[in-house]
Amino acid sequence: MTRLGRELVRLLPVAVVMLFLAWWIPAYFSSYWLRAFTAAVVYSLAALGVGLLYGRLGLVSLANFALLGVGAWVSLRLGLHDPRLPVAANIVIGGIVAAAIGTVIGLPALRLRGLYLALVTLMSAGAFFVVINAIGFPEGGSGFTGRGGSGAVRNAPRPSFAETDSAYFRFALVVAILGFALVLVHLRTSPGRAWAMIRRSEAAAHSAGVNVTMYKTWAFTLAGFLAGVAGGLYAANIGRPGTGDFGAASSMILFGISVSAGSFHLLGAALAGLLARGLPALFSQHGINAEIANMIFGFLLMFSLTAAPEGAAGQLTGLARSIRAKLTPRRGRPAPGVEPTRPAGPDAADQAAAEVPS
Amino acid sequence: MIDIDRVTVQFGGVFPLDDLTLQLDGSIVGIVGPNGAGKTTLLNVISGFVTASQGSITVDGTDILAMAPYKRARWGIRRTFQTEQVVNELTVRDNVSVMLDTARLSSSERAASIERALEITGLVHHADRSAHVLNAFERRLVELARAVVGTPKVIMMDEPAAGLSNLETAELRATIARLPAATSAMVVLIDHDVELIAAICENTAVLDFGELIAYGPTAASLSDSKVRAAYLGVAVEEA
Repeated sequence: MTRLGRELVRLLPVAVVMLFLAWWIPAYFSSYWLRAFTAAVVYSLAALGVGLLYGRLGLVSLANFALLGVGAWVSLRLGLHDPRLPVAANIVIGGIVAAAIGTVIGLPALRLRGLYLALVTLMSAGAFFVVINAIGFPEGGSGFTGRGGSGAVRNAPRPSFAETDSAYFRFALVVAILGFALVLVHLRTSPGRAWAMIRRSEAAAHSAGVNVTMYKTWAFTLAGFLAGVAGGLYAANIGRPGTGDFGAASSMILFGISVSAGSFHLLGAALAGLLARGLPALFSQHGINAEIANMIFGFLLMFSLTAAPEGAAGQLTGLARSIRAKLTPRRGRPAPGVEPTRPAGPDAADQAAAEVPS
Repeated sequence: MIDIDRVTVQFGGVFPLDDLTLQLDGSIVGIVGPNGAGKTTLLNVISGFVTASQGSITVDGTDILAMAPYKRARWGIRRTFQTEQVVNELTVRDNVSVMLDTARLSSSERAASIERALEITGLVHHADRSAHVLNAFERRLVELARAVVGTPKVIMMDEPAAGLSNLETAELRATIARLPAATSAMVVLIDHDVELIAAICENTAVLDFGELIAYGPTAASLSDSKVRAAYLGVAVEEA
């Protein structure tokens, strides 16, 4: 079987699960939960960008929720300015603008790492918060800011084919799947190999002919695009985003949740969305203060950093690997009840390990 | 041929390479010297990780110091590291193919080139294994395959046998000896293992305190009185 064929077979269960969720969630959950799940899908797209930077390149960016705000602002501004503009196009344009700003924010990453890069990106998120507070979100008025419209404050438009919560959930899910597919294609082709080399060491990457500057910058651009697209979806999901939604703390929480959910795996981004939006929704439904979820995220981050560096997704995939290894008879190790014909050697152990997908 | 002309590297008041002039030629060239002699610094200057404060280096007549490090690798200056730099998350094939990601090759040429590198290094049967399951020797070979793939002009190895058993070193020695014929690249080998250098290197340069103290056919270089003095701490008898 070709490599592409193996990849498609590997992704088949994921596609089946996605189709099932697209049918099951709108059919069985209330409007309250439907909006929460849509918010989770949107959040996972932003977490995907954070995971790309941290999990693949080891770069800490604390500005990604601000970039989500950029996408939300641009998409909302375009949608309210002219409702005839296709919403999907507005979302993509919001993504492109956020990608451009993300690229600029990422420029210090060419020189800085670790705490210093984290501080610079956090300052960028803070700067965005100041700007957005000064100009506010558009209300449908004229001019650059779109403020001061004489009519009633309008909500962000949704696509004409996805105006109901059910249809909008499915629309957001499709957009998120496209975002995950975009990242997956990157990971399986030359950018993924280049990022892996850079993560190993920049010297190794240079010696392998990798243009480190270009690939680092491209990672920030892609993460910005994903956050911007998530922002467009976010705006249309809640209708009227507020300036308070995009404080620098939101970017820090996004990073913390992405790391504790598992930034080395695509599954981690999906889990991050569920954690960040599902847990507060669950608490609210049971009359518990949703802010308590932030405390739980803090504990999860501490646990992840000390005991489970690959996060929840790493724990889950590790568990799945060990179960599969127990269920699959290894070459050189007979199934229970079968008389061994030759002793198992190190080669057999290596072979078995090689068969476990990474 | 690598032509090193009056190259100096300065770190503060320290001169790891001090006005070094040397023409490296031959199919396999060794560079030896005591710790701190400037061997790895020389490799780093050629591959672009350390900037020379003066001097020039040409490879087959091309000035390489003006090129960015990644462009030197694409041009054909390849290297391995003292601490191997294999990426665990990638398969053996992907670890090698990253070198050709910017090469202008058709997919069939690219696949053939990777297959050839895996054949040279004996990794064909490991091609689709994830690198994290490889042992230390196999990881060394993966790094060597990455240096070999495509059309290398110079393959530089920094202590490739470090940490290997005698059996593995012998196998690695045979693989390195095959490289000039298999790739038509010049091989530069840095190692403390004088036996390895003596066995496969046509010419050998000996450095000490950033200066060249001997260069020529390996046997002659290694038996030079200044070399023995540098290694054994014996005073050189004046002629």
